[in-house]
Amino acid sequence: MRFLPLNSAQRQGLLGSAMLSLLILAIVGAYYLWGESYQARMLYAVFVNLLVVVGLQVFTGNANITSFSHAAFMGIAAYVAAICVTPIAMKAISLPDAPWGLNAFELSALSAALLALLITGLLGLATGLFMARLTGVGVTIVSIAILVIVHSIFLYRTDIFKGNQALFGIPKIFDLPQITALVIVAIFIARAFRESAVGLKLRASADDEVGARAMGVDVFKVRLIAWVVGTLFFATAGIAYAFYLGTISARPFYFNFVFLTVSMLILGGLRSVTGAVFGTLMISMGLELVRWLETGPVISGIKFPEVLGLSGLLLGVVIVAVMAFLPRGIMGNREIEDFVKRKR
Amino acid sequence: MDYFIQQSLNALSFGAEYALIALGLAIVFSIMGLVNFAHGEVIAFGGYSMVIMGTLLTNNPFVLMVGVVAACVFASVALERVAFRTVRGADLTTGLLTAFGVSIILQNLFLLFGSPRPIAATQFIFLDRTIAIGSIRVSSLQIYETVTTLLAILALMFFLRRTTLGMAMRAAALDFEMVRLCGVRANRVIAGAFAISGLLAGLACIFIMARRGSVQPHMGFDPVLVAFVACVIGGFGSLPGAVLGGFLLGITEVAVLILLPQSAGGLAHAVVFALVALVLIWRPDGILSPAREKGDKI
Amino acid sequence: MLEISQLKVFHGVIEAVHGIDVSVSEGQCVSLLGPNGAGKTSTLSAITGTAKSTGSIRLLGEDMTRLSIEERCRKGIAISPEGRRIFSNLTVRDNMLMGGAMRRDRAALLSEIGEWFERFPILGERAGQMAGTLSGGEQQMLAIARALLSRPRILLLDEPSLGLAPQIVAKIFEIIRELKSRGITILLVEQNAAAAIGVSDKVYILNNGRISRQGAAAEFGDGSDLMDELTGVHS
Ligand SMILES: Nc1ncnc2c1ncn2[C@@H]1O[C@H](COP(=O)(O)OP(=O)(O)OP(=O)(O)O)[C@@H](O)[C@H]1O
Ligand SMILES: [Mg+2]
Repeated sequence: MRFLPLNSAQRQGLLGSAMLSLLILAIVGAYYLWGESYQARMLYAVFVNLLVVVGLQVFTGNANITSFSHAAFMGIAAYVAAICVTPIAMKAISLPDAPWGLNAFELSALSAALLALLITGLLGLATGLFMARLTGVGVTIVSIAILVIVHSIFLYRTDIFKGNQALFGIPKIFDLPQITALVIVAIFIARAFRESAVGLKLRASADDEVGARAMGVDVFKVRLIAWVVGTLFFATAGIAYAFYLGTISARPFYFNFVFLTVSMLILGGLRSVTGAVFGTLMISMGLELVRWLETGPVISGIKFPEVLGLSGLLLGVVIVAVMAFLPRGIMGNREIEDFVKRKR
Repeated sequence: MDYFIQQSLNALSFGAEYALIALGLAIVFSIMGLVNFAHGEVIAFGGYSMVIMGTLLTNNPFVLMVGVVAACVFASVALERVAFRTVRGADLTTGLLTAFGVSIILQNLFLLFGSPRPIAATQFIFLDRTIAIGSIRVSSLQIYETVTTLLAILALMFFLRRTTLGMAMRAAALDFEMVRLCGVRANRVIAGAFAISGLLAGLACIFIMARRGSVQPHMGFDPVLVAFVACVIGGFGSLPGAVLGGFLLGITEVAVLILLPQSAGGLAHAVVFALVALVLIWRPDGILSPAREKGDKI
Repeated sequence: MLEISQLKVFHGVIEAVHGIDVSVSEGQCVSLLGPNGAGKTSTLSAITGTAKSTGSIRLLGEDMTRLSIEERCRKGIAISPEGRRIFSNLTVRDNMLMGGAMRRDRAALLSEIGEWFERFPILGERAGQMAGTLSGGEQQMLAIARALLSRPRILLLDEPSLGLAPQIVAKIFEIIRELKSRGITILLVEQNAAAAIGVSDKVYILNNGRISRQGAAAEFGDGSDLMDELTGVHS
């Protein structure tokens, strides 16, 4: 590895990313060996969450500034991709009133995805130019405003977005192999970003903004870069979401999802990519278990009653408990390879 | 002219409701840096209490009104005790997520013990009648709402300026530690803030119930979001800002409804929020943002 | 009256004061002198409860270490803190009322505020103005008045003369002397060694978080031989 122009942290980053990728591959492998087909959908959803949470780590984790607008960017990308890729014949039914000829064209999956990335990325740049100037608290508050604004546009432009009704007829383009590949690439990129010069400066500015500025770090620039990179992760997640489910609606791109993903990041430990991955996997598994209990399952002959609202209740409890007892997350500042090293 | 007066009243009453809720958010934020997203569930709790009191105790609306306000004050103070005390002094995100977690928990408790569908509670509907003042026909509820809000704001101003606890709250917004160094108990100041916030939520709850006539687990969330945006416009943590932001939102909403052609009515919210975005680009910290750096408290 | 022993003060993981003993008797004025960063403010913060510490802090024999900030104030510890920290969004009068916020005897409090306004007519004239508009010297007087309005058993003063013109400094020390003559116990942190020694009964010199010298004020003369210690230069 000596010929690679990487410093030791970056080489470790490669190692850590590879280990996390193995973990992901192991999960997918387990599914193909023993899983039931209905679990594919579940696993896909977990991986979409993973894309989002790893993307959150890029800005929120490194800059240590929480932002809540990611569901908005994800939703924008999902809608752009969906509207572009859905066949004209289908859109005549699903989007009969769409303005600006939105229902009169269709793109290939690749160009639809690229267009969605481009548009979301530009919006990320536009908001980022403004966000990167704010104080940490300001970013958090304005990011909520962005989320609310975008959501209300989704809801009230029913001619384009169908609001809370489903926008249906999106062809199914992705499946488990594609999202697995995306997740692995995302992990590598997020980790590479963390260990890059920009990531390092960003983390330094998070620890001591004044000091970092004094050392010549252009805090505005590094924040902006992280913000836009993060946005692209969310866009990818949105595209992957739309390309699998066949229908999308505005509802999932809102607060519940936002707080779910942020809790995943915080439970894992927002300063580390490993934390992002672990937090996502843990909360996803826990919730899946509760959802199963909620349906009133039969366990060893006993039929349990159906309890509506239990999974929601538990999500709330998990969030409150993590905030109260584990605000720094289970990983803290550590990455996966740190464990291996210590064992040696 | 009549039309103008009607629409002005419309705008004022919208704004009044937003301002009441926004003030409740702002007073807690100004003192402990917590964006209390569970504020909406305090309102919903008031609604559910009304259902329970209405079935078990009395249908007298005035007794119920007192009961609703008391229930909201109780809920607000109890939430601080149970949930927010552990994250006192934590950063904004921790507080915000805790508040949201609490909000989800309460919504789902309402769901578990109530019903996902609306439950009727119509005792306050009588507040909403069409009355004629001269040749102008207006909604009595809108008048009550506007007047009550103005009175509440005046009472709050009196409380904050003239009483020791109120003064301590204003001082705590600037330097909580120094207030404690003056021997004022932190718990009292914070409980006071939550009590006031609950009281305002109770008033808002009465008007919301008068308009809806039913309760639902999620009924508090949207009003609080609008109030949140009002706070952002006005400057987060600034009480005058919350009032200003609330009324500005109400006025803009009605103005957009009037000015846009009927067919584009659904766009009102989007236009309002686009204007909000413009305000934020113009003044990222809100119109009346507090002078100090908004940040960690206590 | 105030007995501090083995006091260590922490700011996060940093230990700013490394186990000091300080005692202040009833009616005394005691000075705590030292260069920048010696740990003077940290010591006062430990006494008021705003910084984490270990060791013992006793006021009239009662242990303070487990009490919250506000309870310590209620037991009789008041401070005019570093940077004054007046409530700039409150009026001058309201700042004074905050000083007596925990008192029950409102009439007596109001008459005491009236006395302060007589003593400092400038504050009286501006009673209804926002305290943020006062000058530095006026803010310092307001901070001292605010602290005293809680009727403390001991008054902590953190660099009351910092950044003030010589006449104002003289006036501040005149006030300290007068407070002392009224029997008020004072723990004074200062950079202005000569003036502080002049009003004190006892002096502690703090250096890098340790007491390097202590004794009766008379032993320190006019403080001119302290130059080395107070500028942090070690021989
Ligand atoms: N909040 C804090 N966080 C970290 N370190 C601190 C903090 N406050 C003080 N310190 C450190 O503790 C040491 C003592 O500081 P302290 O403020 O007590 O000094 P001081 O004697 O009051 O100095 P000065 O005369 O400048 O006011 C210094 O090294 C300082 O850097
Ligand atoms: Mg100091």
